[in-house]
Amino acid sequence: MAKILNQPRYKCALAAMQTVQAITRALPILHSGPGCGEKLGGSVGSSGFFSPHIFPCTSISEKEVIFGGDEKLYETIENSLKIIDADLYVVLTGCTPEIVGDNVEDVAGRFKNSEKPVIFASTAGFKGNNYRGHDWVLKAIFDQYLTEKKPVQKGLVNIWAGLPMHDPFWLGNLRELENLIERLGLIPNTIFGFGRGIENINKIPEAQFNLLVSPWVGLESVQLLKEKFGTPYLHYPVLPIGAYETSKFLRAVADYADFDTKEREKAEAFILKKEEEYYYYIERYADVFLETRVMSKRFVVVSDASYTLAVTKFLVNDLGLFPSRQYITDDAPEEYREDIKKYFKELNYGIEAEVTFSSDGHQIHKEIEEADFNGYPLIIGSNWEKSIARKTNAHFVNISYPLIERLVINSSYTGYGGGLKLLEDIYSVAFTRFN
Amino acid sequence: MAKKTTQIAIYGKGGIGKSTTTSNLSAALSEMGYKVMQFGCDPKSDSTNTLRNGKYIPTVLDTLREKNSVKANEVIFQGFNGIYCVEAGGPAPGVGCAGRGIITAVELFKQQKVFEELDLDFVIYDVLGDVVCGGFAVPIREGIAEHVFTVSSADFMSVYASNNLFKGIHKYSKSGGALLGGVIANSINAPYAKDIIDDFVAQTKTQVIEYVPRSVTVTQSELQGKTTIEAAPNTAQADVYRSLAKKIANHTESKTPAPLEVSELREWAAKWGDYLLAMETGTIRTEQAGNL
Repeated sequence: MAKILNQPRYKCALAAMQTVQAITRALPILHSGPGCGEKLGGSVGSSGFFSPHIFPCTSISEKEVIFGGDEKLYETIENSLKIIDADLYVVLTGCTPEIVGDNVEDVAGRFKNSEKPVIFASTAGFKGNNYRGHDWVLKAIFDQYLTEKKPVQKGLVNIWAGLPMHDPFWLGNLRELENLIERLGLIPNTIFGFGRGIENINKIPEAQFNLLVSPWVGLESVQLLKEKFGTPYLHYPVLPIGAYETSKFLRAVADYADFDTKEREKAEAFILKKEEEYYYYIERYADVFLETRVMSKRFVVVSDASYTLAVTKFLVNDLGLFPSRQYITDDAPEEYREDIKKYFKELNYGIEAEVTFSSDGHQIHKEIEEADFNGYPLIIGSNWEKSIARKTNAHFVNISYPLIERLVINSSYTGYGGGLKLLEDIYSVAFTRFN
Repeated sequence: MAKKTTQIAIYGKGGIGKSTTTSNLSAALSEMGYKVMQFGCDPKSDSTNTLRNGKYIPTVLDTLREKNSVKANEVIFQGFNGIYCVEAGGPAPGVGCAGRGIITAVELFKQQKVFEELDLDFVIYDVLGDVVCGGFAVPIREGIAEHVFTVSSADFMSVYASNNLFKGIHKYSKSGGALLGGVIANSINAPYAKDIIDDFVAQTKTQVIEYVPRSVTVTQSELQGKTTIEAAPNTAQADVYRSLAKKIANHTESKTPAPLEVSELREWAAKWGDYLLAMETGTIRTEQAGNL
């Protein structure tokens, strides 16, 4: 169990209400105390058709603790169905009703004949954080809403990556992954963001395979899809940033999709074109990368497993920088940690990165301060790293929750263009030294 | 200045005779001229039935379910000999949190200073079974009961529940919680039963405050919806309860018990198991086995 001493880098599992919210026209119904939703909903970009301020909530009090909150929940679901026009209603439980032992499954089950689907996910904060909660919500949808096995549509690929809203670049990344998959000649299917929603959820069982782009988050839910519908999955742990990883990623997908010669030729032609374009830019700005001597060659990433791994790969493989000790702050479950560590041993040029799993900001910052960066450090992290960046006179790029002082709408670090975008962000910071 | 109200909590395994003993204790104390309140802390809410001719009373929590605030006098009902009866109540079986219910009910009384206003001599909490969670430990926490007594028979599971209670008392004793007055040994007829309880209290450094035999008089009285003190005041059994009441009224010093670890308790039980087996198989002569 992780200890958060200060500087929280994740929220409790109930924050997976953001996963529901990211599905267009899906509505979270919170079975929790009145403060939970308000506290968890405080991120930029969460207003819209259903904002956290209008999520129905049982707002349980002492009365529901003593006598049980089942009836209050029933009433809340019943009224939500009456007054809020959504396509999917997902009941999420907070800590208190889970401790008391409310039978949420039974209450949600009483709506099985309602016009709109009502499902539930157990997201008590004491069970885990929002990285896990995200997976639990997906599993709940797959398990309770998707019931019918459907004929497989060749080429249809469900894509899963990143934590909606918690990851500032979640949507841009997802759109770029869709774009890449489409350019390979496959048909991407995602459920989050504009123009997606329940129709796309309905298509999930038809997929030829699931594509999970994440070191560990989402594994449980794709495994469930495999068990339930027999849909195989490609687990690609690295979010591809820049040419090296993106080309590798595209080839891995092509292999998994079992492309024939013609399809493979088309894929290779796409990869070649994108690489040529990518290196055209790298060449044009080579002087920046080679001659900005204030940039040291060493960097540190403090983020969740997905970003720490993806950025480390990019900065080593594409940019030739050297990793200091890297930090993973998402409290990745023990059973995944050995695999994650292994990914950091698979960098190019025989380079390996040491990695620490910790959410102890004080300790992380102490180690960064004591590490030798042979110049100004490059620190990629969250707002919490701002103080250590100031202290060490570092180049600092904020990419992770909590991300303050930076507005991200739909930009992305994924793919060929994503790599260039990250370079823009890093060197924009380095250039400020010349002001 | 108001006199000091002595608050006593009575615990013990479910079905062991807590409510019977508590109600008779309350009745006997009131006979002695004391002003007594019996506070049932069990969602079954039947602790005070025999003080009120077998009738149930509205509980604190039932009343709280209907409205947002409850005045203590709305849930206090007088029973035999003017004894004040309160039932904490609780959720339906299988839902909600009964422990939190006890906390809420007890706190409601604590806040409203009812005991002082009623000028009570004794408040006796009759608490459900084992100290399974924090809620059921509330009466022994700081500021509520001063003395705890446990009702136990010589059955192993009853002794086990008592030992668990001792663990709870031990824990809270460091932060000003209630201390243990002793064990009320219930249904003690066979000599070996007395020996078992005597041995258990010796092991755990406490005492037996009274031995209460199993008696058909108690059953007859309860079937009439009454305590033995009320229904059969001139019986030997009523005198046993009077003796218990006298001892508790005069009881001043409670102590921190020395609960056994689970492994010690098992070993202790195994030793007694061997002894009883030996008695049954005749290895020990029957005259030593009393009225087995």
